[in-house]
Amino acid sequence: MTKGAEKKQRKAKAVAEKKETTTTTTTMRETVKLISMEGFEFVIDREAAMVSHTIRSMLTSPGGFSESKDGVVTFPDISTPILEKICQYFYWSLQYSRGKETEFHIEPELTLELMMAANYLHT
Amino acid sequence: MDSPLVRLCIEEACKSGDAVERWRLQRRSLEKLPPHLADALLRRLLHRRLLFPSLLEGFKHSVENIDLRGESSINAEWMAYIGGFANLLSLNLSDCQRINSSSLWPITGLTSLTELDLSRCMKVTDTGIKHLQSVVNLEKLWISQTGVTEAGISLLASLKKLSLLDLGGLPVTDQNLISLRALTKLEYLDIWGSNVTNLGAICILKFSNLSFLNLSWTSVTQTLNIPHLECLHMNKCDIVSISKTHSSPLASLKKLVLSGATFSAETESFSFTNQSSITYLDVSNTPLRKFSFLATMINLEHLDLSSTAFGDDSVEFVACVGESLRILNVSYTKITSVGVGNLAGHVPQLNTLSLSQTSVDDLSILLISTMMPCIKTLDLSMTRIQGFMQRQTQQAEPSFAALQSLTSLEILSLEHAYLSDTALSPLSSLTGLTHLSLKSTYLTDFTLHHLSSLPNLVSLGVQDAVLTDNGLEKFSPPSRLRTLDLKGCWLLSKEAITALCKRYPHIKVRHDFADDSSSLEQNQLLPRSSPLEKSGRRRNNQRPESSVAVPRNFVDQRLKYNREELVALQNSPLSQLLPREVLVSVPDILADL
Repeated sequence: MTKGAEKKQRKAKAVAEKKETTTTTTTMRETVKLISMEGFEFVIDREAAMVSHTIRSMLTSPGGFSESKDGVVTFPDISTPILEKICQYFYWSLQYSRGKETEFHIEPELTLELMMAANYLHT
Repeated sequence: MDSPLVRLCIEEACKSGDAVERWRLQRRSLEKLPPHLADALLRRLLHRRLLFPSLLEGFKHSVENIDLRGESSINAEWMAYIGGFANLLSLNLSDCQRINSSSLWPITGLTSLTELDLSRCMKVTDTGIKHLQSVVNLEKLWISQTGVTEAGISLLASLKKLSLLDLGGLPVTDQNLISLRALTKLEYLDIWGSNVTNLGAICILKFSNLSFLNLSWTSVTQTLNIPHLECLHMNKCDIVSISKTHSSPLASLKKLVLSGATFSAETESFSFTNQSSITYLDVSNTPLRKFSFLATMINLEHLDLSSTAFGDDSVEFVACVGESLRILNVSYTKITSVGVGNLAGHVPQLNTLSLSQTSVDDLSILLISTMMPCIKTLDLSMTRIQGFMQRQTQQAEPSFAALQSLTSLEILSLEHAYLSDTALSPLSSLTGLTHLSLKSTYLTDFTLHHLSSLPNLVSLGVQDAVLTDNGLEKFSPPSRLRTLDLKGCWLLSKEAITALCKRYPHIKVRHDFADDSSSLEQNQLLPRSSPLEKSGRRRNNQRPESSVAVPRNFVDQRLKYNREELVALQNSPLSQLLPREVLVSVPDILADL
C-alpha cells in the first residue's frame, strides 16, 4: 500500500471514531470494529455495520460466532481502501434510506475489488 | 443482482470507455471475480456498447455465461477470444449475422460448454457442426434456421449428452431421426418445418425421456403416444388419426398447441390424451366446429379459441371447465354479450380475457365487471362497445364506469373506432391501470389530459386521435409513464413531437416523427421459444432493413395534400407502412404463411 493511502486510512478511522464519540455522549450507541487485511481497524456504529447482511448475521447469531460477543470482525480478504469505502457506503446507505438521496461516488479503479467485497458482505 | 452496492459498482465500472480503461488491467482481480459478477459485468459492458474483443481476454477465467444474441459485430475475432474461456458453460450467439462455420473453430474442444445457441446464424453450415462434434459435453443446442442440412444433422448423433435439440426450420429427414435415436437423454426436440413424415415420427417414440415435442409445419398426421410428453406443438399440421396401436395414451400431456391445424374427425382427435391433465390448450385458427371435447378438460388454465367457429352456443363447454381457467382468448369468434353472460360466474379465477374482434356490446362490460373479479388484462378492441348503456327509459349511462369494481385490472385495450371523449371519461378512475391503449378518431386532447391523472400508467396509447400541438404541450405525463403511442395522430407537427421527446427523455414516443432507435432493445426483450414467436422475431429483425428504404426526413404530408385528400389517404395501404408492433399477433403470422 502507498503512504498516501495509509494516511487516508488513518483519517477515515478518525472520522469513524469521531462519529462514535459524539454518539456515545448522547445515546450510548454500540459500535463494532472491522479489521482489514492489513490490520487497519475501523470503528463504526453497529447500526451502520448492520447494512451488511453478512455482518448482521455474524453479530446477531446466538452464541455461534465470537464476533457477536466482542463486536470485532476481521476480513482477511478485504484491503484497507476497500474496507474504508465499504464503511462509507454503510453510512451513505443509512442516510439514503432516511430520504437523503445523494450519489455515492466510486472510483473506477475500485469497482472490481469493491464489487467482490460487496458480494461477500451482501450489502 | 440483489446487492445494491454490487449494482452501483457495475454501473460505475461501465460508465464510459475511460472508466473501463482504469480497471481493465487489474488482471488478478478480474480473474478472481465470482462467475455471477463477471457475467453481470460483461452483460452490462455489452449493453453499454463498451465491449470489444481484446477486453474479453481479462474475463477468460471468470465468465461462465455469455449472451451475445443479436450482436451484429460478433465475428471470428471475438470467437478467437471466447475460445479461451476455460469455464464457459453457456454461449448464446443467436441472430449474430456474421457468425459462420469457420468462426466456430475456436470453441472446438471446449469441454466446459454445455449450452450453445446458434439460432438463425444463417452462415453456419454442416462444417460448423463438424467443429461442434468435439464439444462433447453439450447438453443444449439450438441450431434452428441455420444453413445446416441433412448430413450435418446426422453428425449430431455423436453428442450423446444432448437433452435439448432445436432443429426448427431445418430440412430434418426421417433418416435423420433414425440416426438421432442414439440421443437417449433427449427431453426437448423441436423439428418444426422439417421434412419429417409419419414414418420418421415413429422413431420419436425411442426418446423415452421426451417431454417437449414440436412438430409444427410438418406433414406428420398422427399423434404419438409418448409416455412422458408434457408439451406438444402441432401447429398447421393435418391431424388425421390417432395411432390406436399403442395402449398408453399421452397421460402426462399438459400443454397442447394446435394452432392452425386441421382435423379429419375433430372430436375424436382429442381422445388420444388423458384430457384431464391438460392445462394449456391452443386450438386457434382451426376449423373446429364442436367444442364439447372441452368439457372433460377440467384442469384447463389457458385456453385459446381465437379465430374459430366458437360462438354463444359453445360457451357452456368452457363454463363447465371454468373453475381453474386463468387465460381465455376468444377474439375473432362469434361470441356476443349473451355468451359472456353465460360464462360470467363460472370463471372465478380468470385474469386475462380477450374479446377483441367480436360482437360483444356494452352489456358485456357490466357482466365482466360484476362476475369476473380477478380480471387483470382485458382486451375489448374492435367490438360493438359504444361506451354508453341505455337503462330503461332513462338517459344513457357511460358503461365504462362499471370497470371500477375490477380492482386488479392493469391492462386494458380499447382500440376501437367509435369511442368518444365522454364515453372514456370514467377510465380516469381506474387508478390501478398500468397499460392502456386507445385508438379512435373521435378522441381529442381532453382524453389525453384526463388520463394523465392515472398514477400507475406505464404505457399509454392514444392512436388516430385528433390531438393538437397545443394539447401535447400542456400534457403532463404520469411519473411512471415510459411509452406513449401517438401513431396516426396526424395533426401533430414534428416540432411538437420533438419537443415532447426532449421534455421527457425517459418516455419512448411512438409517432411517424419520433426517432425509432430502440428496435434493438425490443429484440432483446423477446424470449426464445416456439416458432410462432420466432417468426415474429424474425420480422422484427428485418424491420430495420425495410425501414431504410423509407427516407427519414420525408416532406410533411400536410404540405403536400389538402385535408380531403389526406382523409382519403388515411385508409390506403401505404399508411400501413408504420413500424410494426413488437408482438405480432398469432392470426397475423398465420395469415402470412
